[in-house]
Amino acid sequence: MRKSVRSWRNVFVLSLICSVASANGQTTADLHGTARAGDRPAPDTVVWLDAPNAPPLAAPPHALLDQRNLAFTPKVLVIRAGTLVDFPNNDRVFHNVFSFRDGKRFDLGLYPVGSKKRVLFDRAGLSRIFCNIHPNMAAYVMTVDSPYFARADESGAFTIPGVPAGTHRYHAWRPGAPDELTGTVATAGGAFAITWP
Amino acid sequence: MALRALAAATSIAYVLAAATAQAQSMTVEAAAITGVSTDELAADAVQLRTFGDIAGGVRYFGELSWGWSSDADNDAFAAAYPYGNRVDVIEAYAEGIFHPHNVLFTARGGRFRTPFGIYNASDQAYTGFLRPPLIRYHEYSGISNQFLELGGDMTFGVPWLTVETAVGAPADVGHAVRTAGVDSVTRVQAYYGPLIAGFSYISSTPIVLEEDQTGRSRFTGIDLRWAHRGLQLRGEWITGRPYDGASTTGWYGDAILHAVSMGPVTAVARIERIAFDERAKSEAETTYRQTIGARVRLPLGFTVNVNVVHHAGDLDGYKPMSLDVGLMWSGRRSPM
Repeated sequence: MRKSVRSWRNVFVLSLICSVASANGQTTADLHGTARAGDRPAPDTVVWLDAPNAPPLAAPPHALLDQRNLAFTPKVLVIRAGTLVDFPNNDRVFHNVFSFRDGKRFDLGLYPVGSKKRVLFDRAGLSRIFCNIHPNMAAYVMTVDSPYFARADESGAFTIPGVPAGTHRYHAWRPGAPDELTGTVATAGGAFAITWP
Repeated sequence: MALRALAAATSIAYVLAAATAQAQSMTVEAAAITGVSTDELAADAVQLRTFGDIAGGVRYFGELSWGWSSDADNDAFAAAYPYGNRVDVIEAYAEGIFHPHNVLFTARGGRFRTPFGIYNASDQAYTGFLRPPLIRYHEYSGISNQFLELGGDMTFGVPWLTVETAVGAPADVGHAVRTAGVDSVTRVQAYYGPLIAGFSYISSTPIVLEEDQTGRSRFTGIDLRWAHRGLQLRGEWITGRPYDGASTTGWYGDAILHAVSMGPVTAVARIERIAFDERAKSEAETTYRQTIGARVRLPLGFTVNVNVVHHAGDLDGYKPMSLDVGLMWSGRRSPM
């Protein structure tokens, strides 16, 4: 009997929270889309929405840029500004991870297999990541000022979860593209297609 | 010559890609270098490697090398690969790397570089130096960068302290190779903050260039690396006997500067010394060398290396001062 009362109380509390969220305009939706370059999928496209009123991060989230088989994984990482990125060395050889151009600038020095180093990406921008020993190792870290972002998979598909209902200004970038694309998208607007010429 | 090297690299890369179709993931990489030295030599080389995951956390690595030099007795451009105008299998192994609960365990089987001191091709061939350290050149009775093992290798420890042991048969490349037999290598490595320190010991069959060179070859080495804010200092001290009645002691110290503000440029400097002593023949030779240089990363996978080298002491056939220039290209394809 006591268990049944507790269940009904939980339902009531949950309904109350949902009502408050709706009254504050916090209804959210997952935004699905596709990225293409001409008639081909554009994997690793990064898409993010402007969110000037997004609440600040309570604590820095963590992301991972692995070093394995003489390569960075993933090749494109998108994170929110204020994220700590771990750079573990999962190879038998030493790596010297660095970034010297736009975005976050750092040089992690050498560290052996099984250990890792960490970098705080505190400002929005694109960072090009290299290894000073292995010329073919390269990756991108796109840091955005928004909690609403996604990276397209091999088919060009992406999903931005938990987007507040309404119309938003979006940005899209992909490796090798000359320009960043911008525009507006509505959560109730149907297919969200990003196309580079 | 450079174009010929590039064409060969591309062709063999596609052959290797087909041969490794069993892998779950695979990368094929080609590197080509063409260089000239005021030591009156030119050289070209191509390396092809493939690596990736097989299954169950096991990885594979395979590497072929071809190199040619107009003066094979000179160590210019021979930092980590042979230049005997033939194709050699350098490494071909399978390896598992596991680190449950911060414990590190690795097991490797096949053909691999002798794990003594600072031995990886990455550390010797791509850091900006175009010549091997004197103590690591196969002609000078030390530990050669072209030493290879055919056998097994295990590493155990935690990331800050590891012990590595390899047991195998010498499978060296180049024209000065160790005789057949069994050899063993032990290496202990510790890592604390920016400092990495290693201790190595090898007991091996000797390189026999003359009939009276007999007995086991035994060497001990200490290596150090320290890195901070783009400056890497590293070096090795190696001493031992290449065969009965002879001793070789050598060291080198490298400074590799790649500050963030330097962009694609890495500056390098090396000082080194090697001493060889064979009392029975009253032979005692000491050689010194200093190197300064730069490595510049260019677009499209190209890299330019420039080294100025000064020699002093008992080193026949070398000019007191040399300028080495190498242009390297490297590309990669991941069909899986």
